[in-house]
Amino acid sequence: MLVTGIKSKPVYAPLRADTGGRYHLMLAKGVGNVALMRVLDELRSAAPQALGRTRVLLIPGENSGETAARPEDFAALGLEEVRTFADVPGLLRDFRSILEGALMGTRLYVAGPESFIGLAMKIALEFDLNKDEVRAEELGTLARRVYCIHCRATTEEVRTNIVRCVDCGSWLLVRDHYSRRLAAYMGVMVDAEAPGELPEIKEIFI
Amino acid sequence: MSEAQTLEVEVAAIEQVTPLIKHFRLAPVGTEGLPAFSGGSHIVVVMRTATRVYRNPYSLLSPPHRLDCYEIGVRRMEESRGGSHFMHDRVAVGTRLEIAHPVNLFALDKIARKHVLIAGGIGITPFMAHLEDLYLGRVPYELHYSVRGPDHAAFLARIMERTGGRAHLYYDSERQSIDFDRLLSSQALGTHVYVCGPKGMIDRVAAAARDWGWPDSHIHWEQFSAPPVGDAFEVFLARSKMTVHVPPDQSLLESIEAQGVEVPYLCRGGVCGFCQTRVLEVDGELLHNDHFLSDADKAKRNTIMPCVSRARCKSLVLDL
Repeated sequence: MLVTGIKSKPVYAPLRADTGGRYHLMLAKGVGNVALMRVLDELRSAAPQALGRTRVLLIPGENSGETAARPEDFAALGLEEVRTFADVPGLLRDFRSILEGALMGTRLYVAGPESFIGLAMKIALEFDLNKDEVRAEELGTLARRVYCIHCRATTEEVRTNIVRCVDCGSWLLVRDHYSRRLAAYMGVMVDAEAPGELPEIKEIFI
Repeated sequence: MSEAQTLEVEVAAIEQVTPLIKHFRLAPVGTEGLPAFSGGSHIVVVMRTATRVYRNPYSLLSPPHRLDCYEIGVRRMEESRGGSHFMHDRVAVGTRLEIAHPVNLFALDKIARKHVLIAGGIGITPFMAHLEDLYLGRVPYELHYSVRGPDHAAFLARIMERTGGRAHLYYDSERQSIDFDRLLSSQALGTHVYVCGPKGMIDRVAAAARDWGWPDSHIHWEQFSAPPVGDAFEVFLARSKMTVHVPPDQSLLESIEAQGVEVPYLCRGGVCGFCQTRVLEVDGELLHNDHFLSDADKAKRNTIMPCVSRARCKSLVLDL
């Protein structure tokens, strides 16, 4: 029932350093920190002078001990700046203000859960950052942001194929149809023709 | 593009705007207006002489919202194969010309946050139409226009009227030049750069932009190469089953067209890729002069842009 093969579904790839860029801006949430550490290692060997023009914005992982790199690890690299945040809105606020002052030649790297990547990309799009300036690696939960096409509310952290809209209460089928502008997957009423008749609800975005 | 799709226009006015550049106004023949176009478009003017046909691309410099006439600027080339001399010497008010429909290979990016326009000499022409659109819009921009000297600054009054303080003029005669590093190292994120002018200028702008980390998607340029002259050679057209002689001062495309074989084309300047033709056999060297094929494509020796490229060969067979 979930429609697949839809071209708008974002595709991600492991992060690689882009030494063609002059300034590097990196964002990560949770386990995404590990991907940034890998890119920074690559940058250090390919273009060490670039580390002084690199800024990192982090939301540290919950169990920072084993899986995720720690803010101290980043601080030790001699970067231009490392900022840590407690939540996504805080990080995105600073991200936006950095973009407002940023110059051409900046490359953006984002690592973390898809919903986090989507929110960062939505802002990057407003600054006309193109595909050859932005790289993203998906790490962490596949939970989706789902946009109700009926009432336009967005339901966060959706893990199931069918979800109840937080605002209008409609039962929505979560499609693969993705909007970069809204940073959300489209949710379409699933029982419009036979109210109350729902397919089996399964947890699939884990 | 084939001959059936050309339009007939009449030269309504000619003005010598610099020692080298003539400004032509082309009016439609008949009651219908001209086809709509967008800023950055060019047309191809078909020039028929007793001995041969020239088809040269020229950017439209008139306001895109005006369809009662098209304006073009033609620089007299010192080493012309004949096209620009024909426009300068043989075309008068009242002359009728055939033109191909406008095609745009140099549009402004629609979601750019800022545009930086860089023109060298006759390279100002596509920007003239862009300035009309920018004048009506809200996106910030700056124009950097470099010419030999004050006498050579074509269309200056119109540029000043449209740009206010956003135009910067540079005269070679005063030893003024655009500092590409300074210009491109300090542009805000979301800026696009556009350059039209001599090849050296385009190369320097692209190199400076890349040095400062600009990605390719933000660097735009247009240069119509005139087909270079070269040694004569012969080409066999496999599907038409005929041999065509290509003289030194005629392009491969023109020579094929002269034999009545139609090749689809748009820019005739090695930019658009429309006339790309399969090479079935070549005993010798392909002389690629286009800006379209990658070095890897050129190395494969199985494709050619007949509008500007030639061959130095014993035999050449094309899939035409």
